Amino acid sequence: MLSIVSMFAMGPILLFVGSAGASAHTAYQTTRKNAGTPKASNVTIDPKTGVVISYGNSAITYNVPPSSLVTLGRALFLQNCASCHGTEANGVPVNGTSGAYPNLVGVGPATIDFWIDSGRMPAADPRAVEANRRVARLDAKQALAIAAWVNSLDPSYPDIPTPHLKHANLSDGAALFALNCAACHTIEGDGDALAQGTFAPSLRNIPAFQVVEAIRTGPGNMPRFTGNLSDKQVRDIVGYVTTEIQHPQNPGGFGLGGLGPVAEGFVGLLIGVGLLALVGFWVGERQ
Amino acid sequence: MTDVVDTKRAKSQAAGPYGKVGQVLNELDDRLGVAKGGRSFMDKIFPDHWSFMLGEIALYSFVILLVTGVFLTLYYIPSTALVTYHGSYLPLDGQRVTEAYASSVNLSFAVRAGLLMRQMHHWSCDIFVGAMVVHMARVFFTGAFRKPRELNWTIGTTLLILAIGNGFLGYSLPDDLVSGTGIRIAFSILESIPFVGSYLAFFLFGGNYPGATIIPRFYILHVLIVPAIIVGLVGAHLFLLVRQKHTQFPGKGRTENNVVGTPMFPVFMAKTTGFLFIVAGVTALLGAFAQINPIWQFGPYEASRISYAVQPDFYMGFLDGALRIWPSWSFHSFGYTIPLEVFIPSVVLPGLLFNIAYLWPALERKFTNDHAMHNLLDRPSNRPKRTAAGVAVLALMSTLFIASSTDVIANFFRLPLNEVLWGMRFFVILSPFVAYPLAWKICKELQAVQGGGKRKTTNVVTRTAEGEYIATPAPVYVDDVHAELDATPVPDFVVDEPEQAGESGVRTVER
Repeated sequence: MLSIVSMFAMGPILLFVGSAGASAHTAYQTTRKNAGTPKASNVTIDPKTGVVISYGNSAITYNVPPSSLVTLGRALFLQNCASCHGTEANGVPVNGTSGAYPNLVGVGPATIDFWIDSGRMPAADPRAVEANRRVARLDAKQALAIAAWVNSLDPSYPDIPTPHLKHANLSDGAALFALNCAACHTIEGDGDALAQGTFAPSLRNIPAFQVVEAIRTGPGNMPRFTGNLSDKQVRDIVGYVTTEIQHPQNPGGFGLGGLGPVAEGFVGLLIGVGLLALVGFWVGERQ
Repeated sequence: MTDVVDTKRAKSQAAGPYGKVGQVLNELDDRLGVAKGGRSFMDKIFPDHWSFMLGEIALYSFVILLVTGVFLTLYYIPSTALVTYHGSYLPLDGQRVTEAYASSVNLSFAVRAGLLMRQMHHWSCDIFVGAMVVHMARVFFTGAFRKPRELNWTIGTTLLILAIGNGFLGYSLPDDLVSGTGIRIAFSILESIPFVGSYLAFFLFGGNYPGATIIPRFYILHVLIVPAIIVGLVGAHLFLLVRQKHTQFPGKGRTENNVVGTPMFPVFMAKTTGFLFIVAGVTALLGAFAQINPIWQFGPYEASRISYAVQPDFYMGFLDGALRIWPSWSFHSFGYTIPLEVFIPSVVLPGLLFNIAYLWPALERKFTNDHAMHNLLDRPSNRPKRTAAGVAVLALMSTLFIASSTDVIANFFRLPLNEVLWGMRFFVILSPFVAYPLAWKICKELQAVQGGGKRKTTNVVTRTAEGEYIATPAPVYVDDVHAELDATPVPDFVVDEPEQAGESGVRTVER
């Protein structure tokens, strides 16, 4: 009965789902709560210590940062992060007021790893509305160490993902990308300006694991996709991003930077009309 | 043996001085009476100025549009029925898409030369509209629209509107994500018209958006109805051009009562045929090497999907820009809502602009009280007010076009989007008010230049052995013959108009 009612209520949505392929259908089933968290069935446990080292499935493996890095992580955090986020990572700097900077306790290792590994943290300008992607100041191991220490304060999820893209379904990925990502990042993944001072970054040059981290943790303005995208669907999206978005097929010639009609208009007017007018100038009489 | 030779000679003598060709033409003339009209057509005089070639770019792009368009119709399926795509583009494999989209992707990937044809069609559309705008600007700034050519100006303006409209229709046909967004905007624009909007929109779309009929309807409009009107109007445009004869720039030997230039046959015909091939060649090069509208990257359109940073083709850009920057005004009362923030920029504004274009010849007649026939063109700087008005409109259109990329500007320069939007509002409103006096002043300054608008003669500077520099006027170059445009003798083959012709093929006929 419920399904019949919802069929009427969600008519337009079902219209889409019907045409996006069978697996995209599951995009609207919000029954899978908290994708990216461990379940009894998918956990790998270190036999010696009894600690969870990873969890996940054939689509994405989430790796827990090793506890051996906690000491290093604390030292790095105090050097690089504590001036804003505070010595306890709770967002309260020394002599500061709470709430001025994000509280990092309990955000999960993937969040920490994403911000540091994409070069956004440590922030160039802590007062900026949005931190921009730069060359990372800390390397991957240092990021992992900081994530390990912050996570040790209040262990949380998701952990650091490794997508297995070999079996990614590009077609499902394309459909899911168009539905979930293109509204901000554009259908060609170039990114664009959003509201006052915020931007959806370009996806052209981003490693696969960071795409998963962004989808699962929702950095900045981006929504956090957990319940509505399964690990397999995230993997498909990442597969599409790392192939067709980052290396688009341009059989029609020079791709004009993926900018679409604006670049095409300039080429059409300057090279098309411009060149032909010059030919006319050459053929005709100049006075 | 001698009999055979004599027979041949007898035959060739019977055929007359023009041989077999002449014989065939004689036969034709006996039946159809083509000689008189054909002669006057072959003697049609074309002024040689390069700016007269701009309209030809538009004409020949239209020819290419027709040819490539016919090719595309062989493979395109105008249907919104859903099919499962199984083609060579793997990221779409297994997706449910409309037949229109599937056939567009298939004709790009699976049909030999299909992608080239599609890209040539799209590029020549951009060139077509662009060349029309440039041609219109030439006609406007030189005053070629004045009496007796107002009707041709009206036809030309109509052609521009039809070309823009048909470009939009064609852009919509592949039913990809980007064009679907455009159709959605078109539906909303129709809906925004007070009182009749919803009825109009439902009438055109055969019901509510998106419906299943819009693609076949756009198709028949795009491939038959609008092109048929365009062909008819182009014919009328050219007929009037031949009938009224060309305008020409003032110069030695050129008056209001003659036309100086090269005859249709053989000079202009060779030139213009070559130009057709050059236009086709440039279009083919663009189609082969510059990718346009990669619909496979955009994916199929679904009403629930949207991509950011979607823009229309450049000729719709000014409408998009106006829509973006217009403040959110709307009228709610008496049970009606009139979305002025859509209606004004997308219906009233273009309506106003094109109506001014239609009315301009009449307006100019009224304000200048000039009701004379004009066959000699103006130098734009000699008409500062008209030139400044044209520049102001072009400035408005250009800034509106730039305003259609507020997000791209904000993203590229890392500026806040809202500030870019506000900046654009000032930029657009101020641009015509800055452009008008600036253009007017430049015209006035140009008028003051001695010998302005005339070709400068070259001086050759020589240095003597003593180190003295002497400037002497350079000899006239061979291809400078046209500079003076003296009316010169008619070539031999035109016997019945002996007045004023020349070796260069430049000659004069009475109107």
